[in-house]
This record gives sequence, C-alpha cells and structure tokens, in this order.
Amino acid sequence: METTKPLNKYVELNMGPQHPSTHGVLRLRLLLDGETVKKVEPVIGYLHRNAEKICELDYYCDSLLYFDRMDYVNSLSMEAGYLEAAEKLLGIEPPERAKWIRTIMAELSRIASHLVWAGAYGLDLGMLTPFFYVFDLREQLLNIFTEASGSRLLTNYMSIGGVYQDFNDKIVYMIKDFIKTFPKKLEEVFNLFVKNDIFISRTKGIGVLEKDIAISYGVTGPMLRGSGVEYDVRKAEPYLMYDKVNFDIPVSYTKDCLGRFLVRYEEMRQSIKIVKQALDKIPDGPYFNPKAKKSLMIRLRGEGEAYGRTESSKGEFGVYIVGDGTVKPYRVRVRSPTFKNLSVLRELGKDVMIADLVAISGSIDLVFGEVDR
Amino acid sequence: MVDIVEEPAGKDKRKIFRVKKEDLITAMKSFYDQGYDHLSLITGIDRRDKIEVVYHLHSFQKNEYIVVKTETLNDTVPSVTSIWQSADWDEREQYDMLGITFEGHPDLRRILLPEGWSGYPLRKNYDLSKVQFVNMDEDGNDYASFDPGDGW
Repeated sequence: METTKPLNKYVELNMGPQHPSTHGVLRLRLLLDGETVKKVEPVIGYLHRNAEKICELDYYCDSLLYFDRMDYVNSLSMEAGYLEAAEKLLGIEPPERAKWIRTIMAELSRIASHLVWAGAYGLDLGMLTPFFYVFDLREQLLNIFTEASGSRLLTNYMSIGGVYQDFNDKIVYMIKDFIKTFPKKLEEVFNLFVKNDIFISRTKGIGVLEKDIAISYGVTGPMLRGSGVEYDVRKAEPYLMYDKVNFDIPVSYTKDCLGRFLVRYEEMRQSIKIVKQALDKIPDGPYFNPKAKKSLMIRLRGEGEAYGRTESSKGEFGVYIVGDGTVKPYRVRVRSPTFKNLSVLRELGKDVMIADLVAISGSIDLVFGEVDR
Repeated sequence: MVDIVEEPAGKDKRKIFRVKKEDLITAMKSFYDQGYDHLSLITGIDRRDKIEVVYHLHSFQKNEYIVVKTETLNDTVPSVTSIWQSADWDEREQYDMLGITFEGHPDLRRILLPEGWSGYPLRKNYDLSKVQFVNMDEDGNDYASFDPGDGW
C-alpha cells in the first residue's frame, strides 16, 4: 500500500486522569517524539469543588472545615493557614498555649505529609518497600491526631481563638515517644532510598529547575529550596511561635529531583527539632480565647481585609479574606502552593523521557484537593 | 508619570497601593524593577458595580510583601504575563471564576471548569440552583451543558 501523506512526526498521548503515578486526578496531554516528551499540558479541575464560593456562603467558624479538605494529608497546617488570616481579620488573638499547640501540631502534620510523599514517590519509581515503612511511621502520627481531635485525617482541631481541646498527659507522652524513636526509624527509611542505585540514577540530574524560572513561576516551598533559594515563610515572616524556636532551612544546590528529596528529608528532622523545643517551652494557661466563645453559635463579624501566609509542607499557603462587616466573608481567596508548583511542569517537562516525567511530577508533591480546591 | 496612590494598610499591616487600570502595566514594571520578582496571588473581587483586581507582590531580596489594587468597569484588565510567568494560570483561574478578560494573555481559557460552562461561579449574581452536566466529546475533552446526556 502506498502512502501519499507523510507520517506525523509527533504523537499526542493522554496520560491520566486515572494513571497510578499521577497522585490523584492529574491529566497530562503530551506531545511525543518517539519516547521524548516535547510538550506537556497539565489539565486540572477534576477535583474542583470551589471551596472559595462555599466559604463565601458560610460563617467564619464553619469555613475551617473546607480547609481540612484542601490538602488532606496535611490538614493541620491548612487550618493554621486559614486561622492566620481569619484571626487577623476578626481581631482575635489566641492565647500563648494555643499558639504553641498549633505550632507542634502543624509540624507533626508536616512530617506526616512528607512521609506520604516519600512513600508515594518510591512507588512512582518502582520501589514498593519504603511505602510500608513510611505508612507505619505515619500511623503513629495519626494516632496522636486521633487522640487530640478525634479523627485521623480531617481533624478540624483548631478553631478561631484557640484549639478544640487542650493537650492532656497522654498526648504529650505520645508525642515524646514519637520524637524519641522517629529519627532512627527515619534514617532507616532514608537509607532504603539513597542506597538504592536505581533511585539515585532515576532522580540525580533529572528535572533541573533553575532559580530564575522557579521564581518567575511563583514556585515556593521545598521545590524552591531545592533550586537553591534559601527562603522559608517560617523564618521570613514568623507566625505562631516560629520566632521562638531554633531551626535551619535546608537548601539544595543541585536543583534536581534528588535535591528536593533531600530537602524534604532534612525538613522532617528540623520539624522534630522544633517539636522538641516547643514541648519544653509550652506554658500553662488557657488554650482558648474567651472572647471567641467555644460555641459555634457565636457569629463573628469581620470587616476590612487580611492576607495570612504560612509555610505548609508544599510551599507558601496564603489565604486572603475580604469582609464587609457581616457574619460571612465577602471574598475568600486561597493561594495554593501546589497550583503554582504544578504550572512549572510545562517548563520541566520539555525534552525529557516519559519515565522521567513521572519522576518529575512526583517530586512536585501534588495533592489534588489543593490544586483544584 | 504614573499615579500610584498609597492607601491605609489593611488588618494584616501590608502596604496597599491603588493604580488606574490604564497605568497597570507601567506601574507593575516599576514594581518589578524595584525587586518585586514574585507575583504571589491575583484575586478578583466582584464588587457588584465593578470588578476589583488585587495583586500580591513579594520581593525575595527585601523580604517585603505589598498589595496592588486596580478596578475595572467593563471586566477587562491588562495581562501581566509578560512580567511574571506565574500570572498565566492565576489569570486563567480568575477568568474562569469571575469572567475577567485579561487583555494580552497568550492562552485565556477556562482552567478548572470544563469548556462550555455557563456563568462565572464567583460572581455575586451566579445562580447556584442551576445544575450543569459534564460530558466528554470524541477528543476526550470535557464540556458542560444543561443537557444530562447519556452518562447521567
């Protein structure tokens, strides 16, 4: 059979939204030349619930629920992020003990999030074993969250003016037990990764993200620190009690996937350091501001605008709230770090192999509850 | 000369500047030259009679965070994608949610909602009671309509 038309050079391939290595419902439209990716176009929105609109229709206290459901592996940091803005707007200052409790919980939540990421990243690259190790470690954290709030993932632990429940002896004991055993176990898991030649060869020098591109695309968090920018909201604009504890910002200058892995590993160790100091420094006292009554029946009124930003495990998580003096916010806007971090995939995914694209998209740490909101 | 009016700071104590829509690009370029290399957030606010667009800028060197506001009566604002790459998806999202047309944007399409969605959900006059259905065409692209289709 003779062909008159020349064969198309490029092949268009659909990847996702249900591909096992896309961490949720990411769909990628790829333009392929053989096995080399020429162009990537992420298609998102499959988990879109419009949390911003739901927040407009709800009271200030109730909106907190929807922030749990954004980054569902890191829900306590999300709550801290919303309250950072909402409490500024409503003019309610939580007592010192509540701030310390929030700091501890946000850091433990960060560890849980990084652990899930490490396990899933191992799966992306064909390593099954570390997954079980990290989920065993995470289980201890989830037990702490359950003891504090009553639920494992969607905790709804913090509330405007403080936290839902004070730390009791059992929780403090569990946390102390955890930070005592965790670093050793983490090192064990770490060795599973870095002593594996396949892992090293699949991440070293892959997905190099230059500093100026990262800044121009608004990349934040471990991705930015993996590109050699020493920047952390916890240091740059301290919130909660981060100015009263000592910790370091890990930075990697290799700019590749391995660098991002190492940054996250070191962040977990720094979080343990923060929790350890916080447990020593936490004062006695009320855990709830009496001005914001514990009952959800109280309707707080907010006027003006406030932007609160926090460092979640993925990057800079910002909430911008505009109030018009009524009991409901006029406009809520969420700066989701992974939304920005994902947009840089269009740059990172040029001229790489399909298998490397999986390694690169995994290293972004995508959680689609947060990208799509 | 560009008019950049400083307003009283909000409750988060960040500086607020207001510029006219026509001067937006010039003002933003001058902010970029001053070291604000990180466009953190673009927010559209439906003020019923007008649309307000809020830009949160950040400088890594100075470690400063400022707010720039502009407003429009005819739903169009010049695009700042030529200055910051991160404006691309943010502007697409605001177009998707509020129907703000960013003039000069290279690829202004809906990003979170499927093509064909009617209405802009974050507008104050959006009708929440209308149900829309999402189906898929032959090319695998989603589109929305009021027709339930076979899948539902």
